[in-house]
Amino acid sequence: MISESPHLASRIAITSVLLTLVLAGAVFLGLASGPTAISFKTVIHALSGVNGDSMLHDIIRRIRLPRVIMAALVGGTLSLGGLVFQAILRNPLAEPYILGISGGSAIGAIIGILMGLAPFPGIGLFAFVGSMLTLGLILLISYGENVVKKDSLLLAGVMVNAFCTAVIMFLISMTHDSRLHNILFWLMGDLSLAGIDQAGLLAAMLLPCFIALFCLSNRMNLLMLGSELAQTLGVNIKAVTIALLVITSFMVSATVSQCGLLGFVGLVMPHLLRLILGPDHRVLVPACILGGAAYMVICDVLARVLPDQGEMPVGVITAMIGAPLFIYLLQRSKR
Amino acid sequence: MLAPEKQPRTAGLVSLHVLVICLALVCHALPAAAVRQMPDQLGRPIAVPDRPERVVALAPSITEIVFALGQGDRIVGVTQFADFPQKVISLPKVGTYIHLDLERIVALKPDLCIATKDGNPKAVTDRLEAMGIPVYAVDPASLATVLETIARIGDLLNVPARAAALTSRLAQRIRQVDARVAKTADRPGVFFQIGISPIVSVGSGTFIHELIERAGGKNLAAGPTPYPRFSREQVLALAPDVIIITSMARDAVFEKVKAQWQRWPNLPAVRNDRIHLQESNLFDRPTPRLVDGLELLFRLIHPELSGGNP
Repeated sequence: MISESPHLASRIAITSVLLTLVLAGAVFLGLASGPTAISFKTVIHALSGVNGDSMLHDIIRRIRLPRVIMAALVGGTLSLGGLVFQAILRNPLAEPYILGISGGSAIGAIIGILMGLAPFPGIGLFAFVGSMLTLGLILLISYGENVVKKDSLLLAGVMVNAFCTAVIMFLISMTHDSRLHNILFWLMGDLSLAGIDQAGLLAAMLLPCFIALFCLSNRMNLLMLGSELAQTLGVNIKAVTIALLVITSFMVSATVSQCGLLGFVGLVMPHLLRLILGPDHRVLVPACILGGAAYMVICDVLARVLPDQGEMPVGVITAMIGAPLFIYLLQRSKR
Repeated sequence: MLAPEKQPRTAGLVSLHVLVICLALVCHALPAAAVRQMPDQLGRPIAVPDRPERVVALAPSITEIVFALGQGDRIVGVTQFADFPQKVISLPKVGTYIHLDLERIVALKPDLCIATKDGNPKAVTDRLEAMGIPVYAVDPASLATVLETIARIGDLLNVPARAAALTSRLAQRIRQVDARVAKTADRPGVFFQIGISPIVSVGSGTFIHELIERAGGKNLAAGPTPYPRFSREQVLALAPDVIIITSMARDAVFEKVKAQWQRWPNLPAVRNDRIHLQESNLFDRPTPRLVDGLELLFRLIHPELSGGNP
């Protein structure tokens, strides 16, 4: 698994190309779906700059496109986050939410919203500080133990997450005005207001993280072998683990501050892709980014199309699809 | 044809003139849509069409005001809970006023959106403006500013005379209530319950507070918190003379809530059978109907003064 395979490069290339095609299909569907009926032809015209109905082109380019890009970025990030946490903890249940990283970001972001800060940098910064504080808390609780020892870290995460949920509930119960509605909608995951600036900003923050994690993907393979073996193979476990945790927390807090809490994305895609592609993280990292992106774009399409009045938060869709699929995968892996 | 029509929305006055000249040269028969600069209620200068014909009302209250001015046929989109007058129910919906659906608004090709500062998210109105759709914001905060808002929307829609007639009728009715309230120094304690579980009332700085005080009552929940929560014990300690419950939920729920209060026969409101259910829309929407709400509250708080009046 860890030896250089001559096929590795071509495997990465083939899976990436295939998943890029899937993503492209999803994006196209995302651009063509919504409350206004728009034909595929109009979408192609709008994208290629052909003149036509300017209102429909505005809707596609300035409302749907940013939203689809946002969904793709968030889906890729959360899937990758799940993959990384599963590698660090060698536990299929691990995910940014389970560890409380998302909860910590949400606390920071809600405090930012209540203080009336701008989404960027104010709320984003608060979210990142929140996620780093929870991460610090988790590491502190499990300090003295081997960081890679999965149970102590996971248990610390579960406790911190429960605490975060309590704090979120406290903050919500203290909120009286119309911001409450906004916070609740945002907590359930909301992509409806994504603008192109916002999407660009998020991309600028996330793409370096994607690259960094791809560079660390072979280390993740070694971590999966267990701490002793990884150490003898020359991996600085503590440094790699902390680097992975910090990068992932940064990515997750960036998406949480922009789009709220979207659950189970970090569980579904890594599992599905691992079942199909095997355990090599050098293949899985790009696959999770592309596959997770396509998955979230499709979920967002469903969120827009399913209700006949308005739309539902996309977090509801991801949870409703993700949870049963995850239970199924878990049952299967036990057998 | 669509592109030149859209232009005035994005362009300033200068480019507008250029456009008007071009249009006049190219197709002399086409009526040019003129634009004027108007400050909205937040003081922002807004370039609005001279005669807006495709208006999206971003809150139920704005829909009501436009209809009260007799300009309902110019509304092409409303928010989900807009329900007055009856005929707005069939109009296209653009989401709730707090969670607006940007795409549905744009798809209606509005030449003007009227927004409310209290509720409409700025993120959405900013996006609309970035897409060249003028957004005129109103910010009614009291009875007096509601009248001002009506006048402003009248100007905006080019019906200032209708607006003046409407506001003077409303002002007249408000003065009548004032005059009758002035006849007594009695100020019964009112507990205005807008939330059932938890019990939520209204603080100072809300329309309801203003209406209660103006109708000759004393708002027992007055205070800086706009929508304070109360425990049952706190309400009992306040000993309200009148309890008014507004709720989205209908009669069945009201009977239950009333029964809960009736377990405390020493409560003045229970002793004198002064627990009332009322439609919330008369009290919390900044519309002409707020004056209906004021008159209704006056009758509930001072039945002895309203005598045979309806």
